[in-house]
Amino acid sequence: MNLMITGFFCYILGMLTVFLPKRREIWAHYLAQGATILGSICVFMSSVTYLLTDMSCPQSICVVGNFSLAMDSWNAVFLAITGLGGIITGVYGLGYGIFYQGNRLRMLSSLFTAFVFSMVLVPLAQDALGFLLAWEIMAVVSFLLVNHEAEKKGVWQIAYQYLVMTHLGTAAIMIAFLVVGSGSPDLQFSSLAMGTLDGGTRDIAFLAAFIGFALKAGLVPLHVWLPNAHPAAPSHVSALMSGVMLNMALYGFGRFIFSFLGPIEFWWGLLVFSLALISAFAGALYAQMATDMKRILAYSSVENMGIVFVGMGTGMLLLTTNQQELAMLGFVAAIVHAFNHSIMKTLLFMSAGSIMQGMSGEKNIEKMGGLGKFMPKTALFTLIGVMGLAALPLTSGFVGEWLTFKSLLHLVNAQAGTGFRLLAAFGFVSLGLTAALALGAFVRFYGIIFLGRPRTNLVEKAHELSVSMLIAMGISSFLVITMGVFCAPIVELAIKVMNKTLVKLPALTNNLIIMSPTNTGTGIYAPLALAVLLVILGVILYGVIYKKNLLVKSDVTWNCGTVSTNRQQYSATGFSKPVRRAFGAILKPIRQKSYLQKSHDYFGREVLYKLSLPDRFTDNLYQPLQHWLVKAAAFLRQIQTGSVRLYVGYVMVAMILVLIWGAMYHG
Amino acid sequence: MGDLGQQVFFLLLQLIVLTLAAPLVAGITKKTKAYMQNRLGASIFQGYYDLAKLWQKPTVITAYTSNIFLVAPFIYFISILLAAALLLLGFSTNNTLGDIFVFISLLAIGRFIMTLSSLDAGTSFGGMGGSRELYISALVEPVMLLAVLSAAMQPGTTSIAGMHINYTSHYFTISSVLGCCAFFALLLAENGCIPVDNPDTHLELTMIHECMTLEYSGRLLAIIHLASMVKSLLIINIFSLLFFPVNLPLLIKIIITAAAIAVVESLNNKMRLFKVRFYMMTAGVLLLLAIVAQ
Repeated sequence: MNLMITGFFCYILGMLTVFLPKRREIWAHYLAQGATILGSICVFMSSVTYLLTDMSCPQSICVVGNFSLAMDSWNAVFLAITGLGGIITGVYGLGYGIFYQGNRLRMLSSLFTAFVFSMVLVPLAQDALGFLLAWEIMAVVSFLLVNHEAEKKGVWQIAYQYLVMTHLGTAAIMIAFLVVGSGSPDLQFSSLAMGTLDGGTRDIAFLAAFIGFALKAGLVPLHVWLPNAHPAAPSHVSALMSGVMLNMALYGFGRFIFSFLGPIEFWWGLLVFSLALISAFAGALYAQMATDMKRILAYSSVENMGIVFVGMGTGMLLLTTNQQELAMLGFVAAIVHAFNHSIMKTLLFMSAGSIMQGMSGEKNIEKMGGLGKFMPKTALFTLIGVMGLAALPLTSGFVGEWLTFKSLLHLVNAQAGTGFRLLAAFGFVSLGLTAALALGAFVRFYGIIFLGRPRTNLVEKAHELSVSMLIAMGISSFLVITMGVFCAPIVELAIKVMNKTLVKLPALTNNLIIMSPTNTGTGIYAPLALAVLLVILGVILYGVIYKKNLLVKSDVTWNCGTVSTNRQQYSATGFSKPVRRAFGAILKPIRQKSYLQKSHDYFGREVLYKLSLPDRFTDNLYQPLQHWLVKAAAFLRQIQTGSVRLYVGYVMVAMILVLIWGAMYHG
Repeated sequence: MGDLGQQVFFLLLQLIVLTLAAPLVAGITKKTKAYMQNRLGASIFQGYYDLAKLWQKPTVITAYTSNIFLVAPFIYFISILLAAALLLLGFSTNNTLGDIFVFISLLAIGRFIMTLSSLDAGTSFGGMGGSRELYISALVEPVMLLAVLSAAMQPGTTSIAGMHINYTSHYFTISSVLGCCAFFALLLAENGCIPVDNPDTHLELTMIHECMTLEYSGRLLAIIHLASMVKSLLIINIFSLLFFPVNLPLLIKIIITAAAIAVVESLNNKMRLFKVRFYMMTAGVLLLLAIVAQ
């Protein structure tokens, strides 16, 4: 496929810019970003072209020795996501990279290109070795990017945490491939898909694959690296990590579920479903608590990947019932939401980057406020992104969530009995909680940053930055709105993809989802009709309310007769206080209040108030685990004396044991 | 095309009727409350007079606010009207647009924009109202969806019309009575009625919804009031269509519900803010039972 190969050459060219001389680093940067944009356009165009064909046979890209790259219905979706993400963040990076001038800019830009390239190779690889290689390149390159600002306090610890976690994931995926490939002649995906596994091994393969991919997707409790690593990276890289890289986990998991593992067991679906629901809830809850702007977004990624995997889990559960065609709906919801989330999250990380640069590197939303007056265009684009992530209708964030709810509803009637009803109820409650908490988190995010009065004088120095950053945000906010209003083609495309990917199942026709108003019996979501109504009502009411002698006077804010100061505004921490208290049993916040100086009982007291919200999973799961590991290592060190004779003895004992084992089981 | 034209006509008629009737329903609630308190009370048309008065008054706006503050009431009102377009009012039996999830999410637009505007004036009252509103909504939303599940699982559809048709054949079963109790509790919370919120006190600190809109005045406040009244009528309407366990004409059901709200409001106190979660949990458990019992 020529277009795709052209894209590869663009990426390679972009990576080579690192060798340009240092005094030309700006040119190297522009060249690398330009090459990324061009390459991503090629990838996007060729994947979309393929998606628009009937996708009945995979399209080979190139074959080098044992490695082969090919495009099929399942990976084309993810190539489109990567391509789009690469284009948007590439344009944004043109302007954003300038802030890294003199700070290893050439390295940043060429690694950025390499990162996009690796995420094109991951879905394209058609054998286990190629997949793992690309996966590992993706992990290492993203580690280097997270570590780019290693001089900053705490960054390298975060980067190494990410490196360790992601390698645990890679190890699990490797095990999964080895187990799946144990019965097949080679590790080509086509031979792995033959399905020669039996009961127990399939369970092991599933568990290993799920652990590996859930770690990458940031599902609870494997998410701990995500809210640390994503904020530490430069913003256009965080945008790619959250918007695109997380979806690679969905791609890999889908490969295993749809082709390698054979028929789905009930408990697999249950595990995916429950962990995904918990992730969605926990992500939204922690997003409402965080005060670091990029951390809020990172937790929101945990939430949204949770929603995506709820779709997958529902689909898997439905596959175990006898209404298998309904399972498609869950998978369709998953890809639609993954795609939409990718654009929204890219947008918001980009605007977080703009705000950070405008506020001279400040990430704490407690120090912002009233920024909308100083960065009006960024404020508008962020508002659109925030509306999308709060899953409001007519934005793209709502479509996936609506489809997920629809598929959950099918769970009730798929199988008689209370079990499935309770599962659906569990899903509805958790997703409802998630939706409300996410809405709160993003009201808080936008309101504290852009509305009200400036909380520090950093805000007053903020201003709009380069045009390319605004263009990138403009494109993605345009996409958020258009894909929300014209969502029907995307959903239809997703249905087509799933029909082609799961050929064994009866095809899902559009009538089951009902995006078209022909079927009166089922609820539909017709955003176009709503949008038309919105415009009509808007025009009429705007005329009535605002045009006809609306008297507006300006005056000071009502503050019970006193003059209000900007310190009297609600802070971000105060704003989320009721929720923190209501979910205190889960969050376990640690409050410390002490009087520094108590000269008088009521006035002139200086109070020190400290609130910390430690991540429960780190404290209660990972620290004991780490403690136990270190202890086990210390115990095992006893056999390491350093004496060569003892080691020869170990080898001998081991050999004798192996011989006995061999004689007993294979003799 | 004629079919579409007819539908659009009914839709617009529905919007106009709902908007015009909303202050009247609020008036019925107020009048019943006055009766419960042995007062004569204001006329049931008082809502219209208040709106007309506010409409003419000038709007005072803080210097710190952005455009969000100005357009928020407008967007709130439109989102409520869009939600109203999804309802079924008896004019036509199949409203093809009416999906319950879309309905709930349209209400969320109003909540989103109003809580945003509460942060815009840069005062502690607004933020207080907004943060409480979001806290209440985090408790109401899951239970609301549970209610949706209990109403949607039997017919297997989320269309309001489809659910209503199915419900008409299941009046007065165990699950419908449980669902009715639970949804009534939800209705009180969602409409800002007494056990959860009290709009009639004279202290901003004790209110939620009014505290959020403290900075509004004049015509913008009139729009917010009207939108809130239409919203509560919409929820009453959903209650009457999908959870009212006796077969009566829709209009009578709405009047009974409006009066019942007044009775419950008169007999109860506003509960502490952090007790609301147990209140909502009770409703959730009732709905869970309703789901299992079906």
